[in-house]
Order: sequence, then C-alpha cells, then structure tokens
Amino acid sequence: MSPDPSQRPSPEPSPGLVRGFAPFAATLLVLAFGVTALGAGLLPTEWKQPAFLVALAVLVVVAGVVFESLRRTTASAVSARREADDLHQSEEMLKVAVESAPVGLGLADSTGRWVLVNDGLGTILGRSKLDLAQTSLLSVTAPESAPILQEGLDHARSSSARWEGEIVQIRADGTHVPVSLALLAVRHDHEEPQLVLVQESDISETRRSEAVNDALVAVRHAVATSATWDQAAPSVLSALGARLGRDVAQFWSLDADRQELKLAQSWQGDDPELADFERTCRAIGLPPNDGLLGRARLAGVPAVNTAVSPQSEPALGSAAWHAGLTEAVAFPVVAGRDVNGVIALFARHPQAVDDAVMTMLTTVGAEVGQFIRRAQTAQTLQRSEADHRAIFEHAPIGIARVSAEGDLLEANAALLEMLEHDLETLRTQAWPELLRAYDLAAGRASLAPLLAGLSDGGSVQVRAATGGGRWLWLQMTATSIPDERGKPEHVLLMVEDVTRVRETQDKLAEALEAQRSANTDLEKLDRAKTEFLSIVSHEFRTALTGIQGFSELIRDGGLEPDELRAYGGYIFNDAERVNRLIGDMLDLDRMESGRMTMRSADVDVNEVLSDTIARASSSNLVEFKSDLDPRLPIVTGDRDRLVQVVSNLVNNAVKYSPEGGTVTLSSRAEGAYALITVADTGLGIPPDEIGHVFERFRRVRSGAAQSIAGTGLGLTIVKQIVEMHGGKIWIESALGHGSAFHFTIPLAPETVAPAAQLRHA
Amino acid sequence: MTVLVADDNEVAQRLCRRVLEKAGHKVLTASDGQEAVNIALGPAGAPDMILMDVAMPGMDGLEAMRQIKAQKPGLAIVIASAHSMASDRERFLAAGADEVLSKPFKLTDLTSVVDRLAVHKAEA
Repeated sequence: MSPDPSQRPSPEPSPGLVRGFAPFAATLLVLAFGVTALGAGLLPTEWKQPAFLVALAVLVVVAGVVFESLRRTTASAVSARREADDLHQSEEMLKVAVESAPVGLGLADSTGRWVLVNDGLGTILGRSKLDLAQTSLLSVTAPESAPILQEGLDHARSSSARWEGEIVQIRADGTHVPVSLALLAVRHDHEEPQLVLVQESDISETRRSEAVNDALVAVRHAVATSATWDQAAPSVLSALGARLGRDVAQFWSLDADRQELKLAQSWQGDDPELADFERTCRAIGLPPNDGLLGRARLAGVPAVNTAVSPQSEPALGSAAWHAGLTEAVAFPVVAGRDVNGVIALFARHPQAVDDAVMTMLTTVGAEVGQFIRRAQTAQTLQRSEADHRAIFEHAPIGIARVSAEGDLLEANAALLEMLEHDLETLRTQAWPELLRAYDLAAGRASLAPLLAGLSDGGSVQVRAATGGGRWLWLQMTATSIPDERGKPEHVLLMVEDVTRVRETQDKLAEALEAQRSANTDLEKLDRAKTEFLSIVSHEFRTALTGIQGFSELIRDGGLEPDELRAYGGYIFNDAERVNRLIGDMLDLDRMESGRMTMRSADVDVNEVLSDTIARASSSNLVEFKSDLDPRLPIVTGDRDRLVQVVSNLVNNAVKYSPEGGTVTLSSRAEGAYALITVADTGLGIPPDEIGHVFERFRRVRSGAAQSIAGTGLGLTIVKQIVEMHGGKIWIESALGHGSAFHFTIPLAPETVAPAAQLRHA
Repeated sequence: MTVLVADDNEVAQRLCRRVLEKAGHKVLTASDGQEAVNIALGPAGAPDMILMDVAMPGMDGLEAMRQIKAQKPGLAIVIASAHSMASDRERFLAAGADEVLSKPFKLTDLTSVVDRLAVHKAEA
C-alpha cells in the first residue's frame, strides 16, 4: 500500500461506496497523517509516540466521519438509516481506540463540557470516567491556570492550528497535577467548530526532575555567592525546601567531639507549628549514629523515612508528628572522609524520592561539604592573615616591607613614629638615604646582593636622621621573604631604635678611654718624676763633688793661702748653684700649684734688657747686640720675674752658642703688647724638639746639645712667668743657624692709647 | 803614672788634678769625650789610666770609652759619674769600665782606685 495522498478518497464519494469505505479511509488517513507529521517534525516529542499518533489519527478520522455523516444525513434522508449504522460502527471503533490510548484524551464542546473522555484522562485527574463526564475542562482546572486554559479554548475556536500549553489541574482528592495540554478544534470546512479535541499528559515527573535540577542550581548559586557556610545556609536550605516541595529544611552539624548532631540552621514556612518544631529541634541533640539523621551520617548516603512517628524516630519523631511532618529525607554533608553534618528535609505530604532526587541530594551533600571545608580554610587563612597584619600594625618595633628593587612597600606605625615621617615622605625622602646607610654599614655596593643574601637575618647598625632632625642609631635586621620558586620576593626589615643603648656604649667607651688616658698620663708623670729625681740628684751630686772634695782638702790642712781662697771660691759657687736649683724647683712648684704671687708695678722692659746684657757680657765669649725700641711703652709686671725670664733666655742662648756667636736682644710694641726677642746664632733646635722645650726636664738631648748642663726647669719657669703676665712665648729656630725666643707682655693699660706715653730718655 | 781626667766640670778637673798630682801622678785633662779619645789614642804622652765623667757635651764618656777600648782594651778606665744609682753602676761596668767611682767621692777613694789600678798595671 502506498501512502500516496492522491489515494485519499474524493470528498464526494457515491453513497454506495460509503458503507465499506469508512474503515479503509480511516486506515489510509492514519498512515497519511502519521507519515506527514513525522516527516514535517511538527509535533511535540511525546506526540511522536506511535500509540498516540494512532489515537490522534483515529480521532480526526472519526470526527470527520461523524460530521460527514451528519451532513449526509441532512443532505440525504434516504440513506440516513444506512449511514447511521455505519456511524454506529465507526463510533464503536473510535471508542475502542480512544479508550485504549495511553494518554488522556477527550472531546469537549466549545464551552469545555466533556463529550468524550478516556481512562487515561481519568487516571491523570484521579476520577472515574463517569465522574469526569459530569465536569467540564474548566472545572477540573486550578484557578490560577484558568486564564491560560481560556486563552487556549479561544485560540482553538478561532484557528485551525493546534494550541499547546501547561496548566495545573485538580484531582478528585484535591491535589494538583501539572499537565501538558493540547487543544485542536474539530471543524468541517469553514464552519464554526462544534467540538474541541483535548489531549493531556501528566508532567509531574518532568516537573519533579526540573525541580530537582532547579534546586541543585539554586544551591550552587547560593554557595558560589557566599563566603561562609553561615551565609550560604539559609539560601541552600530554602532552595532545597521550597523547590523540592518540603516544608522544613534543616542543617544539623556534628559537634566538636562528635557526640551529637545539633541543629545549626533551619528553614521552614510561616506556619507556627513549624516554628514550634524548630524550637524543639534546637533544644535537642541527636545521636550521631542512630535515627534517620544518624544513619545518614554514619552511612554517608541519603536516608528516607516516609512514615515519621515517635516510634520510628525516638529523638524527634514526636515533634515532627505534632507538626504534621510525616516524611523525612536526610543526607550527609561530606568533605572527603569527614562528615560535617546532616541536612534533613521534612514534608507533611509524602513526596516522591526517586533516584534523581537521591543523586541530587548526594551531590548537594558533597558540594556543601567541600564548600564548608573551603570556607573554613579561607577563614583560617584570613584569621592568620589578620593575625600577621595585627602584628605588623601594632608591633613595638619598626617593620618595613621592601620590594626586591628596594622600594618601600609598607611601613608600620612604630617605624613611622620612630623616624618621624608619614609614609609618603618616608618613601620618597628618607628611605633611599636609609638604604644607602644600610648598604654601607653592611658593606654592600648595591641593594641587589643585599636581597640575594638576606636569608641570614644578619643585622647592622646605622646612623639616621628622623623627619624631626634627631639622629638615631637604628639596628636593622633583614629577612627575605621568598616567592613560590624560592627567589627573594620582598624583604622584611625590622628596625629598632638602639640610640640609647649605643650612646651608653659610647659613653662607656669614652670613660674607658679617659681612664686609659689618665693611666697613661699617670705613667708619664711617674716617669717624669723618676727622671726628675735622676736629673736633680745628678745636678746636686755634681755640685757636691767640688764642695765635698775641696772641703776635704781644706780640712786636711797644709794649704797655701791662695789655694785656700781659690778652693773657698769653688765651694761657694757650687753651693750657690745648689741653692739656685732648689729655688727653681720651689718656684715652679708654687707657679704650677697657683701659689705664686706677683708684685705688679710699672716696668721698663728696655731697662731690664739693658741690665741683663751688662751683667752677662762681662763673663762670656759671645757678642751681645741690642735692638731696643726707644718708644716702647712701659708694661705692668713683676720686675724681678721679668728679669728672671730675660736672664734665663740669655743664659740659654749663651749656653747653646758657639764661641764667637752673637746673642741679640730686641724690643718693640706689637698692638697692646711689648714683644721681646732673644735670638742666638747657636745650635738651633731640631723641629721635633721645638714643641717640647718648655716641658719640665726637657732639655735638648740630641746631637751636640745633648750634654749641656742645666736644671731643665729654666724654660718651664720662663713660660709660666710669661703666661702669668698674660703674655705668650714661642720659638723660631733653624737647626745649625740659631734660635729666636719671642715673648709678649701686656702694655700698662694707660699706655695703650694711640698717643702712647713715651718712656723718658 | 799618667792619668787623663776627662770632665766638663772645671771644678771637678781641678780637684782631681790637685789630688792626683799630690799623690805623684802626672795629670792630663780633657773637657769632652772627643778630646779624651784624641789624647788617649794620640801618638805622644798616652795616659796609663783614664778618669772619665759620663755627662759631657758632644761625645759623652761612655761613647769615648767604647772608642778607646776598641783600640786599647788594656787601658784602664774609671767612670766617675754623678749618675749614682745602683743600676748606673751595673750599666757602666757592662759598658767596659774597669772601676766606677760615684760623685761626690772621698779623696781617699779616688787615690785608692788609681793606686789599685796602678798595681794591677804593674803586675800585668
């Protein structure tokens, strides 16, 4: 048989053919329609089920035949009875076909009243066919779906196209059932349609699977947008509860010592009985290994109890029963091998718990567990980070975080306070200098090697100025912080103000140095004393040699008178020399201890110089010259002491001058001072000795001068006397050419004026 | 016996000359170390003994003694010094002195030292 549409019977078959035509035409039409529909792909998926297609095709054909029959009945009264027989026969076939269809099928008139229903429809709506026939399509539809249904009926009346939609219908027991609905008006030619073909299928299963998917999506969304489980839990529980048609959703967490499950979070509707249930649950602890929740925790997989009662759930069955909750599903929240807790869903009306739901709950349990673990880890990290941040911020020592390039990244409050800078000025002004100081102190040329070798934690002390201009000693300890590959990523510099410690150390060092220096001075003094004793005793013994020897000669007698005179003279001279030495020593001692008193008076310096020359020249082999300024004003001083100074210098000059040398005495005014010079043409003083000639017992010892006798106190006394007058003394000397001793004595106050008082004659 | 008295102190020179001449010796004098060396190592009238001061201008007595002893080890030299600490005595003997006489000295000490050395020389 060919499905060629051209074999469709003509619209005007002869009456005689009608009787045998109907079954045959129906078969043809079914085939034609099925092939066309399949080929065009116009039908919804579930309509492609062959059984349904058969039923649909049968309906269409039957409807067509019914109308044709009716028309023909009116058109041809003659053949009416025969056709009525045919019609009856067709109806019987139609009924069989409709009844046996596995989906809900029905015919309704244009107002929605049922004309014909099948068992499938009855099953969907939970009613017998007889009961259903008493209702209309509208009356078994939930009020919220009525507008949609009305729209569908309007559409069907006005159009020959099929209308599809989803509505909720009411079963006999009052429960709702979601159905997919298809409406198709049965019309003849262009007449108003009299009947509407209704097809329904129960999509509860689809809805449930969609709800399961939706719930999973909602859980994932809640988890993805939360930082902690506490934040995520309300959304997760409401998503599970609402979308899976449960009345209560709870999270029970396992307590720290794993002895109890405690209610941590709960979601439920507004019902006060459910609120009571939550309160009761919060007050109790569930056994971790027993009851529905304990079993789920222990087994690690979801558990279901569809008949919750005080008997089946000793711990919370009573509370659940009071709240009308009869079904419970519990599934563990799992992270790895750990079970953090259990999520429990309670429902007043039993809900289907199929494999899809179980799989989904298992998935949720695992994902929530993972999330809780992640959130805990993140929280721990945050706490750790917060701890370190707190240490950084509040540490009593300065801490700086420095980049690998040496730039200051961060400085804590203690460092800023220590250095008296804000972060910006520290970064831009003080930091580069501080780093340079660090590099210098650490003996590094640049920062790069500093960073490379900083794991040693070595510390250095540097001197640094604060923003307020104070100078501090800073002890800097560096620790490099490596990146994942172990290369120094940045450096932590610990900075301590050790100024006080350092200053104390320095003071201690100074004190020690002073002590050492004092010891050295004492040793020097000790050596000087020994030397002093040695020199003084030598001088005394030399003088005593003559005194003792000649005294012995005189005592032993037998001397001529001229011998006696001569020897008496020697004795006298040496005695006088001993006396002079004693006098010098006592003088110096008085001057150095500040006990010497001066008898100040007007003194004519030129007179002192002239007298000294007169006394000295009589007994010497050197030539004396004088270059005295006749206009030199008088000075204020102790004349005897000034005589002592000049004669000492002259004696010195003579002593160190060779025979035939010249000693020159000169005077002139120099500002407010009289400048006196005693120059000789003698040995001169070696440069390294010049600085020491005024020291006690410091005679020129080297070369030709080493054995020239003297007390070694003369020049020391001279210097003391000059300084006591407020003057100064200094030396010019050229080795081998002679020395010049210069000293100044202040002029008498009244003579300092420009019109200086002239000295008479 | 000829004694060279080397001393820059004129009084000491005169004392020694007076005492030693009285004792029958011939006395030569020098006022510094160089002069003492010149006389001691000179061609004519060489002394049999030297009485040497230490602190003298120019060359001191110890250097003079070193130079003289280098040429004439047998020439007796008495160091007569006002440096009279115990350590000085040791220092002078170590430097080669035959005797050390501390200033001031008793006249008999001087003559006895000279006599002792004279006997020694005579025995030699």
